[in-house]
Amino acid sequence: MAAAAAQGGRTGGGGGSSGAGGGSSCGTGSSRSGLLDKWKIDDKPVKIDKWDGSAVKNSLDDSAKKVLLEKYKYVENFGLIDGRLTICTISCFFAIVALIWDYMHPFPESKPVLALCVISYFVMMGILTIYTSYKEKSIFLVAHRKDPTGMDPDDIWQLSSSLKRFDDKYTLKLTFISGRTKQQREAEFTKSIAKFFDHSGTLVMDAYEPEISRLHDSLATERKIK
Amino acid sequence: MLSLDFLDDVRRMNKRQLYYQVLNFGMIVSSALMIWKGLMVITGSESPIVVVLSGSMEPAFHRGDLLFLTNRVEDPIRVGEIVVFRIEGREIPIVHRVLKIHEKQNGHIKFLTKGDNNAVDDRGLYKQGQHWLEKKDVVGRARGFYQENRSVKDRNCKLLIRSLHWDCDDPHE
Repeated sequence: MAAAAAQGGRTGGGGGSSGAGGGSSCGTGSSRSGLLDKWKIDDKPVKIDKWDGSAVKNSLDDSAKKVLLEKYKYVENFGLIDGRLTICTISCFFAIVALIWDYMHPFPESKPVLALCVISYFVMMGILTIYTSYKEKSIFLVAHRKDPTGMDPDDIWQLSSSLKRFDDKYTLKLTFISGRTKQQREAEFTKSIAKFFDHSGTLVMDAYEPEISRLHDSLATERKIK
Repeated sequence: MLSLDFLDDVRRMNKRQLYYQVLNFGMIVSSALMIWKGLMVITGSESPIVVVLSGSMEPAFHRGDLLFLTNRVEDPIRVGEIVVFRIEGREIPIVHRVLKIHEKQNGHIKFLTKGDNNAVDDRGLYKQGQHWLEKKDVVGRARGFYQENRSVKDRNCKLLIRSLHWDCDDPHE
């Protein structure tokens, strides 16, 4: 009986070891994505310093983005953000060119190139200011809803928000641009940030998500009525 | 894995937001760099703002004062002006006053300098065998200065930009 039990134990151990062997091979195969999964913390509740205005605004914006993208499965359009990144990259490129050129050809031979780079840099700064003020405004999300029939152009949803310095009133504006009729409708709400954060600075999604859904549904239902 | 809470904000960012943070930092550095290079181009001097390091120009300049320089080709150097020059082989520029000038017809200049507070002229500082300075050694001419207010009552910094146009007749105005 003891021998049978020992044998059973050994086969069990053998089965266990094969299971472990299989598990380890799986592990090494996906170890890189496993590390990436551990880095990303999308599921962890958002905790920020509740007195830091910009952190509060960023966390509210990011959560609104998450709700729209995950719950309604819209596709994010990076066009606006890419535009801003390109302008900034070009400006930094001019600065680097000026730095390297001045290092290779000491002043004053580098004067014309330096003058050109400096002027271009400040022109790019002007362009960036105009871009963020007029084209981007305070929009932080542009999402597309692909038409299920595939025939009509996409509907566009835009999210923009504002939170004044040292103020607690957060305004979130949702804009809907119909793909077919190119008509624009918008809805917004202004609420105190105290309604969404608890005393330790954790964002309570249960209080925030219904607000977003309500905004979204109010625009969506109007479309159905039309 | 360590729970690094302060990295939470970084972990929540996607690639674009991370890149934007890097760019933001780069733009701050670039702005400072471009302002400095812009000043270099406008003034024509390779170091438009210098700090006085020694007390050799007292009582006009004390250690720690900031000097604003220009180095325009059109303005000729004249006796009595305060120049900042660099001696060949030495890194640190020197702030002294021009004492004597030899000028040729074609505009080529040789000049001798001396610090107001020094007993002798600068020939001892020049390179071995060098008796005169030339235009190429000049970093710039002082056009204005910024001095911390030294009175006991008022310790706040006051900006004193005065035009330093010295007359040949009266260099100690």
